[in-house]
Amino acid sequence: MKKLILAAATLLAFTGVAEAQVRLGSEGAYPPYNYIDESGNLGGFDIDVGNEICERAGLECEWVVNDWDTIIPNLLAGNYDAIIAGMSITEERQQTIDFSQDYFPSDPSTYVALSGHSIDFDTLSGLRIGAQGATIQAAYLEQNLAADNTILTYTTPDQAIADLQAGNIDLILADKSYLAETVAGSGGALTLAGPDVEIGGGVGIGMRKTDAELRGHFDTALTAMKEDGTLDELIALYFPEREGGPFYTAE
Amino acid sequence: MLDLLPQWMRDGIGDDVAFWIGYFTNGKHLAWYASVQFTLFAGLFGACVALALGLLAAAARNGGPWPVRFVAAGYINIVRGVPDVLFFLFFPLAFEQAVEWLWATQVCTPESIAANPNPWPPCIEANWRLSTVEYLIMASVSLGIVYGAFTANVISGALLAVPRGQLEAARAFGMSRMQVLWRVHVRQMWIYALPGLSNVWMLLVKATALLSLLQILDFVTLAQRLGAANYSAIAGLVHEDWRWRYYLVLLIFYILVTFVSEKAFAALNRRVRRGMPILDGNAA
Repeated sequence: MKKLILAAATLLAFTGVAEAQVRLGSEGAYPPYNYIDESGNLGGFDIDVGNEICERAGLECEWVVNDWDTIIPNLLAGNYDAIIAGMSITEERQQTIDFSQDYFPSDPSTYVALSGHSIDFDTLSGLRIGAQGATIQAAYLEQNLAADNTILTYTTPDQAIADLQAGNIDLILADKSYLAETVAGSGGALTLAGPDVEIGGGVGIGMRKTDAELRGHFDTALTAMKEDGTLDELIALYFPEREGGPFYTAE
Repeated sequence: MLDLLPQWMRDGIGDDVAFWIGYFTNGKHLAWYASVQFTLFAGLFGACVALALGLLAAAARNGGPWPVRFVAAGYINIVRGVPDVLFFLFFPLAFEQAVEWLWATQVCTPESIAANPNPWPPCIEANWRLSTVEYLIMASVSLGIVYGAFTANVISGALLAVPRGQLEAARAFGMSRMQVLWRVHVRQMWIYALPGLSNVWMLLVKATALLSLLQILDFVTLAQRLGAANYSAIAGLVHEDWRWRYYLVLLIFYILVTFVSEKAFAALNRRVRRGMPILDGNAA
């Protein structure tokens, strides 16, 4: 028993060296928010925002890739200290984790379908509708459309897109900012369809409720980035399809 | 990567070839190729753990005092019946929390426990952050525990298959129990065990595809991500759904591993048979 505790102690001492660092978790499968870039590393809007915050706050940051469906449990388990993964601020999530102020404006959700398919959005019944699991869209579909339609959830958003193109589902509900970029690059294969659906607030950085100090660092840096226009520049760079900017700079 | 070639060579190859060279030497692909190391490490390290556990458990089941026999038989029978995916999910999590619990008994004060609103770990100081390497080691150990049970079963059968006359002859020459075990019994056991062990190894290799469950960006996960349709130019390599092409590469990779393994086991087989009488089934 003593030996075991000793072994555990050395293990922890080993990992304890990196304690001054902040570990940031992201998914790496949600372009342009986050993706694996040409050099095999994490890249994207989230990553640029995170790195800018760390530089301004003088934190040493390290990125961790984690699947979306376990991204909140693994934050709580302490595998990383913050989630920067295009996560919308919702009341449901706020019961388990804290959010920084938003770093991307409230984003409506919308549907995407194959080009040339007409869908009756007045009735919306008898359809197969996909969404990424554990998202606000999946929750919305389950609550509002599950009675008349079949709802399917996917581990990553690109799996949903692939299944749509394979003809297995009729529609996908997802963040408009993600879909707009995807549809624009699809060469006409995909099309945005139906009305915008307002779910969720802006996009924020998720943290454990205990990390008030870290949250302070993040909020201070975000405020400064909003004031000097850095954040709006990043949004314009990564989301050319998004209209209505600048969002944070006073004109 | 193309920049490394001299100009005449770059002119010589067509645009198509140049595109594909660029495509396959893209950093995303380089990271994919590099991730094979996780699969190979988990396979080889897992096999070492499985072999060690298998030898121990088999020896214990065939020879030890009854409580030891009981534990070994329990391990072999219970673990063989549990789906490897389940064990893969269960073991690392249980081990991590057990270590955190032990550590918490040492470092947590009542105040630090009260200050922690999260249900786990008991206090922030007792938190153990798992790195990729630590996950990889735990994944390999999980594989080793699961396939150690199969190995033990194979080895314990092989130990029983060694002709008793060989052991009695060794005793008659005045060898001690341990000498008989290591020099004659285990030495001859390999002949009977190797065909079964090669089976277990193939199952273990296939199970390495489960690494992604532990947040390791392994060969299989990255193939899935690379193959998925990408329409965002900023994320590089825009193409439609090419998953089946990437899965085909995985298929060929695992077939290649099978092929190499078969050759290796054939060589091992020849080696353990050196100096042994020809076994024709009537030897016993």
